[in-house]
Amino acid sequence: MAGYSTVGLTLPTGLFQDRVVEIRNAFRDNGLDVFLRLDLSSRSREELLRSLRRFRNGYDIIAVKCSSARVAHVACRDRRVDLVFFDHENLNFRFTHALANLLQGALEMNLASIMPGNLGPNIYVSISKQFDIANEHRLKVVLSSGADRSELIRSPIQVAALASTLGLQERTALEGVSSMPLSIVENNARKRNPTHIEDGVQIVPARVK
Amino acid sequence: MTRRYVLVAIISDHEVTEEQFGSALTDAVRKNFGDIGFGRISPKLIRFDPTKSMAIVACKREMVRELEAGIALISDCGELPVTPLVVQVSGTIKGLKRKRKG
Repeated sequence: MAGYSTVGLTLPTGLFQDRVVEIRNAFRDNGLDVFLRLDLSSRSREELLRSLRRFRNGYDIIAVKCSSARVAHVACRDRRVDLVFFDHENLNFRFTHALANLLQGALEMNLASIMPGNLGPNIYVSISKQFDIANEHRLKVVLSSGADRSELIRSPIQVAALASTLGLQERTALEGVSSMPLSIVENNARKRNPTHIEDGVQIVPARVK
Repeated sequence: MTRRYVLVAIISDHEVTEEQFGSALTDAVRKNFGDIGFGRISPKLIRFDPTKSMAIVACKREMVRELEAGIALISDCGELPVTPLVVQVSGTIKGLKRKRKG
């Protein structure tokens, strides 16, 4: 009913593989595809790089919570990072034009962070500024519900409507809930294929005459 | 004035009444868009089915995105936690029903 066909799940890193399969199957039984995402919340540059080396291959999507300038610079510049999102509670550090210039992946905004009663009206100012920068630099933007309980789930069209009301271009907002996350997952699946060497280079089986 | 009709599914563990949903909708739009925004959106609860927990809300055509955003920001109806989901948008009530069946 909510209008989703695919769900991105954030699971703890230490979860056993059979439990992951069980969770995936529970969603598949209800007609939903599942991809796994990991949210990295590192305190330093070194910790982030270590985590990326360790976890990149095990997940469909890697998102980094940028809570300091050093972490944000590495996260925005590193091609292994798919999504970056910003801590709206941290008023001393925000998404800037400099970070937008570095950004290789996509900027993520989750609806749960702006639900009423969470952080007050200043959150709208912060997100609106992020969207202005995203529009100016034509960044890739991914919009997610960020729901950790059922009451926070909203349909994709509502998430897109909320983002466009806060200043994101309507087309970017609609892509942010549809084609953009899907293309990230597909690109990562392609990269994890053993025949993939790097972008544009792939092992092709030799033709035998 | 051309209007858009929005079909909303209200998911809750408790039974929500028409008055509770209507008041939550008005409060959410007024709180987030202000009185002037409320006037420009002109949300109006057209129908409410408590058995199916579905509602039809009308608004001005050009303000449908704002209405969808306003509905997304409803988190409770009379202190009962709810999840309002926009299911369909159409230019006529008949169109909503047709899309829903199709």
